[in-house]
Amino acid sequence: MARSLTAPVLRVAPLALLASRALAQQAGVPVLADTLRRQHLGEVVVTATRTEKALTDVAIPVSVIGGKQIKSMGSLRLGDVLREQTGLSLVADHGQGIQLQGLNSEYTLILVDGEPLIGRTAGTLDLTRVAIGNIQRVEVVKGPASALWGSDALAGVVNIITQKPQPGLSGNLRARYGTNQTTDLSGTFNAGGERAGLTVFGNRYSSAGYTLQPESGTATIPPFASYTGQSRFTYSLSERTKFSLSGRYFIENQRSTAPITSEAGTTADVDLRSRQTDFSLNPTLTHRFGGDKVFATARLYYSRYHTQEAYTYAADGSYYDATYFTQSFLRPEVQVDYSPRLNQTLTLGAGYQRQTVEATRYDEQQQLANGYGYAQYDWSPLTKLNLVGGVRYDGPSQYAGQLSPKLAARYQLRPWLALRGSVGRGYRAPDFRQLYLNFSNPTVGYSVFGTHQVQAKVAQLAQQGQLASDPATGEPIVYQAALAQAGSLTAESSVATNLGFLLEPKLPNKDFSYRLTVNAFRNNLQNLIETTTVALKKNGQAVFSYRNVTRAYTQGLELENSLGLPHGFTLGAGYQYLVAKDQAVVDAVAAGTVFRRDPTTLETERVRPGDYGGLFNRSRHSWNAKLFYDNPAHGFTASLRAIYRGRYGFADSNANTILDAANEYVRGYLLLNVAASKTLGPRLSLQAGADNLTNYTDPAYISTLAGRLLYASVAIELGKKPVARTL
Amino acid sequence: MYTSFRPALLLAAGMLALASCNKDDTVAPTPAAQSQTVTSLSAAGTASSTGQPIAAKHYTFFSLADGKQVAYTDSNSTKWDVAFRGTTILTNSGTSGPGQGGAQVQSKLFTEVVAAPTDGYAVDAAKPAIPTGSGQGWYNYNSTTHIITPIAGKVLVVRTATGKYAKLEIQNYYKDAPAAPSATSAPGYYTFRYVYQPSGTALQ
Repeated sequence: MARSLTAPVLRVAPLALLASRALAQQAGVPVLADTLRRQHLGEVVVTATRTEKALTDVAIPVSVIGGKQIKSMGSLRLGDVLREQTGLSLVADHGQGIQLQGLNSEYTLILVDGEPLIGRTAGTLDLTRVAIGNIQRVEVVKGPASALWGSDALAGVVNIITQKPQPGLSGNLRARYGTNQTTDLSGTFNAGGERAGLTVFGNRYSSAGYTLQPESGTATIPPFASYTGQSRFTYSLSERTKFSLSGRYFIENQRSTAPITSEAGTTADVDLRSRQTDFSLNPTLTHRFGGDKVFATARLYYSRYHTQEAYTYAADGSYYDATYFTQSFLRPEVQVDYSPRLNQTLTLGAGYQRQTVEATRYDEQQQLANGYGYAQYDWSPLTKLNLVGGVRYDGPSQYAGQLSPKLAARYQLRPWLALRGSVGRGYRAPDFRQLYLNFSNPTVGYSVFGTHQVQAKVAQLAQQGQLASDPATGEPIVYQAALAQAGSLTAESSVATNLGFLLEPKLPNKDFSYRLTVNAFRNNLQNLIETTTVALKKNGQAVFSYRNVTRAYTQGLELENSLGLPHGFTLGAGYQYLVAKDQAVVDAVAAGTVFRRDPTTLETERVRPGDYGGLFNRSRHSWNAKLFYDNPAHGFTASLRAIYRGRYGFADSNANTILDAANEYVRGYLLLNVAASKTLGPRLSLQAGADNLTNYTDPAYISTLAGRLLYASVAIELGKKPVARTL
Repeated sequence: MYTSFRPALLLAAGMLALASCNKDDTVAPTPAAQSQTVTSLSAAGTASSTGQPIAAKHYTFFSLADGKQVAYTDSNSTKWDVAFRGTTILTNSGTSGPGQGGAQVQSKLFTEVVAAPTDGYAVDAAKPAIPTGSGQGWYNYNSTTHIITPIAGKVLVVRTATGKYAKLEIQNYYKDAPAAPSATSAPGYYTFRYVYQPSGTALQ
């Protein structure tokens, strides 16, 4: 992706110049000059079109969180950064995940330098796995991006762009200590020469964890220690050919103790030791062909994720249980960008990916292969109009092929007003669990089979006489319709529309700048996967599998304001309005077939359409307000951020499984985070801050809020005095 | 109560509005059937100290006609109408007993079931007339909290051992009917209300 700016960027350069305070000073300079363009178009994104493009020029909603802002916030892990962004909510489900446009974390693809992180638990990719000490910026694409990125990019894509090697020798060391004995140590090293460059990043992150509900006998977050190593080597084989090799290694160890009650009713403390590792390697070769009209990229990505958990009795160390999970991912891919003219770019890509998984609850090593191709045409028929059309086809081995088209347009109505809209399809493939799980609960006795083998397993159970039989016919009780649905499981998908505008007036006073982005979205989801009963066992328990049934929608409006003020102040404010509903529930409530029972009076009444609050865990209102201060002359930065998450549904309390009563909501809450940093001389800088200043907690309902977290850090720059980066 | 759901009825589909609530056009006047409430009828075995369900040895038999529990030794008689064990509810029919029983589950308010249908009753077989399983019949099971919750708006219309009709609504499954059952609540204790009609089909 180390591609220099392409034609579309050139055309909008004048607009960007008008818009940005920093750039306004450069007005009048010929913007087509390559060097200037390279220097001054800072906000370039790569995730929206898989080519470099100015942020203000893309036709779909994208936000960028810059490295400088991340430093100023004092964040450590990816989740800390994302939870403060407009339209994103942090949700806890087998780790910290992100909710985007009201869709669960399994519907957002998480990339590091354009390659996916693997190892999701129950759909969630735990964001605490990602250290951010070496991040240049984070790009968040909202709306489906399967047309370019394939499966999981149904709600959107988060792409973490890491630092690239810079000229000269440099480095830094950073240490931070805070509440809960949270310790973070990191170091970076950079060496850049004429042809070769190298970056190395190392991080150790540990914490004593915290316990919100001591009476439960278990820690909310048990103590852990994790290590991250990341490196990138670049080499210019020639002026036109460049090679890069990136690698990442992550390991986390955690230990906890919890009381476990046996069937006989006795309780014993059980120790859990868990370890997860995550490894990836990514060689990339790029070549610019003669005339600079063709740019080709060949990349290979390999990643492996492994967890193991060992449970032993605390008293004598004897075995209680052990589980493991190993996933691997291999993907070669090529992409060619062809720009015959300044106003058009054709992007063609093709690849093949092979995933394997091996785990305690799977029969044997399972494989999933997928060949795919994609094409995108980025065309500006008029200077004011940019059209991007794309399509991708995935041909997976275990479920039906997926065709994901997308069309996006941006029109510069006035110099200060651009309209943009897009329509696209996103999909999420059935995961390994849904395809291959083979699990029978030893104590309760039910079974769950992935759809790949459910028919064979049910036949086997019938043959072994383990299924209940109908006395009238003597036949085993199998729900044939559900079984047929389970056997033909396909991907979940959505068709989404995003419409909005970007307003960037030229203010008379150059000390001020203002940008407003507004986006309305609607995601129509179908074929959502849910569990279903496919047969009945003799022990009275069910045999479960999965099928596509549920339809749902999310819709809402997102506003984002950014106001540049004199003396280094920037004020930001964002708001999201969200409605997310299960279509079947909407229909049933409208038909009057949904009821609720007051748990105290035991009286039952009919649920009215206005009572239905939609899917659980969605806030109708959320907003943030942030003030950043940057005083380079005195080496002082500070930030004050207020993040509000409105009330959201937690769990049913009145016997109808849906959200329809006030006591089924978690109260809305406000987080106040502050941070300030000061440089002392050319090499030393100090930072201190407090997250959740008001010490807000809600132990029963919010496990991710540990209470007030104070911290202080010190950073030392190494090598030659660092100079401003010149991209 | 009636005033609270009248607006809902106006909104509801015409079919439902016709089927319910219009007191004038239902069955002929019969002796008023009284609504009875039963609290924490035990269908539980020896509950372990942690509340883990240990299946009862015998069903708990109940006569809707007499409004009282019947000894399990009378299981092969028509003295009982419904029987409970764990989450399974039997009717005195088919494979369960010698009676003329049966059941069907209706999705309505208890008060909206004003008359028992004369047909459409299932009898107990490998699958009981009142379906078992989470979301299939009268309850939902939450696999995270392991709590059994009777689904609101499920009315069990029962044909008794002697061919009479009754309607029954399960309201709670835990001992002493706690408003918010937890992992430590004792399961297998039925709190329910019912209306038994000794003559005819009127159920109000």
